[in-house]
Amino acid sequence: MRYALALVALLFGCTTVQEPTPTPEPAPAPAPPPAQRPENIAVAGLMENARADVAAGRLSNAAASLERALRIEPRNPRLWQELARVRLRQGQYAQAESLAARSNAWAGGDSALRAENARIIAEARELSGRSGR
Amino acid sequence: MARRKKLVRYLGYALAATLLAFAAFALHLDFRVRSEFEGRRFALPARIYARPLELHAGLRIAQADVEDELRQLGYREGAREGELGWFARGSERLDIALRPFVFWDGPQPAKRISVAFEAGAVTAVREAAGGELSLARLEPLPIGGIYPAGNEDRVLVRLAEVPPHLVQALLATEDRKFFSHLGFDVRGLARAALSLASGRMQGGSTLTQQLVKNFFLTPERTLQRKLTELVMAVLLELHYDKSEILETYLNEIYLGQDRDRAIHGVGLAAQFYFGKDVQHLTLAEAATLVGMVKGPAHYDPYRHAARTLERRNLVLRETREQGAITMAQYAAARAAPLGVSRKLGTGTSPYPAFVNLVHRQLRRDYDEADLRSEGLHIFTTLDPRVQEAAERALTKRLAQFDKERRFGAPGLEGAVVVTDPQNGEVQALVGGRDVRYRGYNRAVDAARPVGSLLKPAIYLTALAEPSRYTLLTPIDDGPFVWKSRGAPDWQPANYDKKFHGTVPLRVALAQSYNVAAARLGTELGVERVLANVRKLGVERELRPFASTLLGAVELSPLEVAQMYQTIAAGGFRSPLRAIREVTTQEGRPLQRYALAVEQAFAPEPMYLLSAAMQDVVREGTAQGLKRFLPAELGVAGKTGTTDEQRDAWFAGFTGDRLAVVWIGYDDNRAARLTGAAAALPVWGEMMAALAPEPLAFPKPERVEHVWIDPQTGLRGGTSCAGAVELPFIEGSAPQERAPCSGAIDEAVEAIDATVEKAKSWLERLFGR
Repeated sequence: MRYALALVALLFGCTTVQEPTPTPEPAPAPAPPPAQRPENIAVAGLMENARADVAAGRLSNAAASLERALRIEPRNPRLWQELARVRLRQGQYAQAESLAARSNAWAGGDSALRAENARIIAEARELSGRSGR
Repeated sequence: MARRKKLVRYLGYALAATLLAFAAFALHLDFRVRSEFEGRRFALPARIYARPLELHAGLRIAQADVEDELRQLGYREGAREGELGWFARGSERLDIALRPFVFWDGPQPAKRISVAFEAGAVTAVREAAGGELSLARLEPLPIGGIYPAGNEDRVLVRLAEVPPHLVQALLATEDRKFFSHLGFDVRGLARAALSLASGRMQGGSTLTQQLVKNFFLTPERTLQRKLTELVMAVLLELHYDKSEILETYLNEIYLGQDRDRAIHGVGLAAQFYFGKDVQHLTLAEAATLVGMVKGPAHYDPYRHAARTLERRNLVLRETREQGAITMAQYAAARAAPLGVSRKLGTGTSPYPAFVNLVHRQLRRDYDEADLRSEGLHIFTTLDPRVQEAAERALTKRLAQFDKERRFGAPGLEGAVVVTDPQNGEVQALVGGRDVRYRGYNRAVDAARPVGSLLKPAIYLTALAEPSRYTLLTPIDDGPFVWKSRGAPDWQPANYDKKFHGTVPLRVALAQSYNVAAARLGTELGVERVLANVRKLGVERELRPFASTLLGAVELSPLEVAQMYQTIAAGGFRSPLRAIREVTTQEGRPLQRYALAVEQAFAPEPMYLLSAAMQDVVREGTAQGLKRFLPAELGVAGKTGTTDEQRDAWFAGFTGDRLAVVWIGYDDNRAARLTGAAAALPVWGEMMAALAPEPLAFPKPERVEHVWIDPQTGLRGGTSCAGAVELPFIEGSAPQERAPCSGAIDEAVEAIDATVEKAKSWLERLFGR
């Protein structure tokens, strides 16, 4: 596909297609955006349990549910982030920081998720009384 | 006259003395009975469970594998309305009547579920009522215990849980007057006295006497012991009521042997022989157990089925004669088959190496005596399916190697460790080719030289400096001598005894060139590389010699797995864990071993290293893996071979599993072993059985992929023969274009860049 496009580009003598064309129509179909991937209902259910446990102050149970969810979807950055948040609330700052970094590793271009991870890391560092690394 | 008086007086003294002695004896026994019976709690082994299988839509698992797990759990095939613990097979569908189970996070009630499968995956889990379930947890498989002395195992039951027909059958057969006698039976005693004349004490024991015998006494048959037993039985009856004595009896009674494990009590016997809890025993099953009381080895339902059936029917007849059951019940029970469940015959554990690891990890936090008596429940990470694949691959290959004498004389040994690279959970552990042998656990205790397995640490140290090293950096594999004070000169050689001149860094790793690695490692600094080995998770002391870099260090397979786990997790180190949770006997949570993560390395050099380790499999020393697994999986790994080919290693990972295989001789003799020829086939065969997920490392933002012309090491494209796409940390990729690279390649690059930008723009727009 991209070779056909390259050929077309060459034929028309415009090898400097630098501007991003946000309309995905003519571009080679990118992988379906992750948002379209059907959410695993087991993971969604465990995430719900975890949130209910956090709300009720059962942080250890929340962490257990999130670990269960991570066994199902180890590459889900939201689960790593949620676990980081639980550890932050448990006062396990080093864990919170590492888990947020782990979330970042799978975050791809999701800047909102990255921003929240950065916030968690900053808060963990501040609370643990460290200034930076 | 005076003489007669004297005699009477002496007789009186003697009688008084005898009575006094007897009173003292009785008092002593009374003290023993009360203190021991009262203080006696049955020592209950810690019970160890595998991970529970969690079924949910999207889970990749074959229906047959779920059925296997259910069978192992003692579930029976075929619907049995009103009962628990069965499964019924439909087309691409399983109906399961789940038994209740107390998990770490609370009890899970009995439940009827229906699981739909399609193309090797679960598509839906429903309740019998029809509602969709997001997740259904099967009870975990018991995989062993930590046992009290004598490997006594039991599951305590309350008298109220024991079905009345079991008690009736027991009393009808063993002690008809139990509820009226005082601990002994006069007729029985008379019989015992008669048998005394024949020289052997036997028969006539009440349940109380049997209990006393099992509880307090040695099995010798003498008059004194018989007398002691009698007195103690009476004392027991005086102090405790019948129901307490009966309940203790039901929990104490010995009912057979499972290899080295002794089956005690009707609670465990019900589970062991019939795969159900005691309250669900049918009359026929209860009668079988009662029949076995007389001699569990003689009436072993597995080995002597006919004899046991006959004995059972006798028990039923006696129960009928006592009027405890109706004629119809009797007839139905008599017609029933023995119905014992499939014998698993696993002894104290089917997975001794794994249980050994669990025991070690527990000892850090628990007292040994508590582990052997408190009946703790230990929930572990073992995946029986993975364990089975590991055992099968190792035993099959070793048998084949022995037969062919490919690597030396028969008698090769091996060990396997499998973990989940994302969280460090140990899924399987094989400690030797006799997988049921509870002894030398090579996976944990055999520290062997690791050969080239440390090399990734050298390359990682280099790649962390993108200004000096990329995957393309030329490394010199020419003759090399390392001189250091106080040590003889060190002159490493390559496996093929040749030098390969200057090679790109990734080729040096893929081909496992020793000289190049030694030169690079010493250039970087031995201490620096060893510091990274420690950061990867190796805790053993490493001698600060250059030769250590080439594997002159001894590690166990488990330690190697810890090191490679950090690589497989992209630089995040998690301690390997075999335990998830510990609860008390009643299910109260005591401890959770949580997932712990520490970022030990930046993601960028780790990404490059894993790409290089994929090349080991794609074009390097582990190419043989192609015979087992498709190239698209992108497996990353490293072979290891040691001096005089004594040890063979392969350590590698896919998207969902990491495994380390070691093969060698226990006596450490020189052989013809290589990692690629001996360890790799075991690894490949095991992984192929587990349908692994492709390796998908998250690409760090600061890494870019560039097409490279292998001839020049410059930017190329598909117009260059054999062009490869390689990752570079931003700013470190070559800028210059290879002559073979045409305008079309430039255009492709430009379009790729555009697509990349559009993708990230879209992601930002819609979020993920």
